[in-house]
Amino acid sequence: MKETAIHVENLVKEFGSGESLVRVIEGATFSVYKGELVALVAPSGAGKTTLLLMIGCVLEPNSGTIRLGEETVYDNGWTIRDTRRIRRSKIGFIFQQPHLIPFLNILENVTLIPLTDGVPAKTAERKAMELLEYFEISDKARSEPAQLSGGQQQRAAIARALANNPQIILADEPTAALDQKRSVDVVKLLKKIAQEQNVAVIMVTHDEAMLPLVDRILTIRDKKVVEKPLSSEGAIV
Amino acid sequence: MISLARKDVAHSLGKFIVTAMGVGMLLGIVLIMIGVYRGMIIDAQVLLDDVGADLWIVQQETLGPFAEASRLHEDLRESVQSMEGVAAAEALTFQNLQLPAKPLPVRVVAVGYDPLGAISPLNPDRLIAGRPLRRQHYEMVLSDKTGYRVGDVIPLQRHRYTVVGVTHGTVSTGGDPLVFVSLKDAQELQFAYSNERIRQDRARGIQAHDTHLVNAIVAKIRPGFDRASVADQIAQSLHKNVYTDTRERTILTKNLIKMASKQIGMFTVILVIVSTIIIALIIYTMTLEKLKIIAIMKLIGLPNRVIMRMIMEETLWLGLLAFAFALLFAHGIYDKFPKRVVLQNPDALRLFVVVFVASVLASLTGIHKVIKAKPAEALGG
Ligand SMILES: Nc1ncnc2c1ncn2[C@@H]1O[C@H](COP(=O)(O)OP(=O)(O)O)[C@@H](O)[C@H]1O
Ligand SMILES: [Mg+2]
Repeated sequence: MKETAIHVENLVKEFGSGESLVRVIEGATFSVYKGELVALVAPSGAGKTTLLLMIGCVLEPNSGTIRLGEETVYDNGWTIRDTRRIRRSKIGFIFQQPHLIPFLNILENVTLIPLTDGVPAKTAERKAMELLEYFEISDKARSEPAQLSGGQQQRAAIARALANNPQIILADEPTAALDQKRSVDVVKLLKKIAQEQNVAVIMVTHDEAMLPLVDRILTIRDKKVVEKPLSSEGAIV
Repeated sequence: MISLARKDVAHSLGKFIVTAMGVGMLLGIVLIMIGVYRGMIIDAQVLLDDVGADLWIVQQETLGPFAEASRLHEDLRESVQSMEGVAAAEALTFQNLQLPAKPLPVRVVAVGYDPLGAISPLNPDRLIAGRPLRRQHYEMVLSDKTGYRVGDVIPLQRHRYTVVGVTHGTVSTGGDPLVFVSLKDAQELQFAYSNERIRQDRARGIQAHDTHLVNAIVAKIRPGFDRASVADQIAQSLHKNVYTDTRERTILTKNLIKMASKQIGMFTVILVIVSTIIIALIIYTMTLEKLKIIAIMKLIGLPNRVIMRMIMEETLWLGLLAFAFALLFAHGIYDKFPKRVVLQNPDALRLFVVVFVASVLASLTGIHKVIKAKPAEALGG
């Protein structure tokens, strides 16, 4: 029996108003289960980032419902009050840009959220160092983000997203700034985390080479989220 | 828990310190301005304190030597002296003088008194070199601010005066340095005309010219006598205006200082307001500068209280550091001013409270803006 990690129903998202009103998502309904790595593949401007931000309680939908695990976080105009608690405790965000905090060193960036949540400093640091070692940037633990290359910064950002043992990982083109080998490593790592820690991962990607590694592929077609057959060899619509 | 404020400040320490220094100098100037105001009020009373008289007898229907011109005949001293209840009476003169270049001409107020008299306006505690006047002619004691030293010879009008003593902290009610001369010399300096003038007067038929004038008579009261009633007695029998020391002080502060201090008081108030606004703006912009970083913090789920604490701590530190600079700055330069500047801790404290409240309000306004901002905005670009 698959446990639902994310359940989205009839989700609608519009930007602007009046003449300039654009409906980006219209009636999206889908689920993502614990332990699976799902790729979200769609052309640029299709609404992938918008969708992730709504799931992450960053953007408010216009209507529909979003459930994360047992918790309803959005229900037709009603939004859970403490969205930041949800992000802090349930979600690991990996953005297109690293978005590290410039005045904290890498280790501090990674431990910030666990420490805020009351994880003991020793534990948080040990976990952070493990992650940094895994991403081969443990030698940069005491460096400031500006001293790292783009790829190193992105790996640090992934480490930060994983630091709090999230139940859901939302990754928006996490491999865009990485070379092929590192990209494969990151996706493999995400898959491993999904499986071993029973985490639901949604990863937006343009990189077709990553698709064989994922469990399922979702796409946005006619403003709705639909499943794409895994075996597909054809071009992504 | 990581102190975000400490990390952020350490990250841009140079900028933080320069900002604090700038704000600190601004506050330092405000402190000096308040000090100038305080100095004026203290200066105004130094001479009254040093004279230490119980009564001031001045020309009828005038407010006395510090408020308007007053001329009395010096003989009046003896009349006052002989009144019941009067222990001692002395004549004093006050006049503006310009001492010759050293290196620039100095504007001073000359006080004339009888070196052998019972009441001396020269407070011996203020003498830092030399001695008080001893002779009736051509000696001078002057304030160190004039730049002269004991032994200097100063030519004034027809005579040459030798500096026999130097005082510190002696000022006129307007804050100018004082010069003490004997009553006889002072009368000559104030009331004697040049030979040229005397010749002209003679040509016009004006003959005698009286130099035996003074500006005020001061008196001390015998123990057991009431100041006010002795004052009334003198006023009635001698037809002069008589003020008690307290009354003279009131005249001084009410009439004389009021205008001047209002001027500088208003200036100080405006300066406080302007600098408060500038500081508030600096803190507000400092907060807004962090909009993007704070949006990221929100995105990764950092709670508001952590973000607010960071901003508040930084505001507090900036305020404290700026204030330290302000005190350093003000205390470093206050004695370089030609007139008295009095830095008082309660003033500094009050200013600190005003600036602190303004900073916190400004930072709260900034925080409000920051908290309202949508975290998704961080993702743009
Ligand atoms: N804040 C916004 N205001 C107006 N339109 C927006 C905003 N954010 C996204 N959009 C629009 O929504 C559509 C989907 O954007 P996005 O989710 O970023 O696409 P993707 O990530 O798939 O490339 C685009 O047409 C974009 O212009
Ligand atoms: Mg996108």
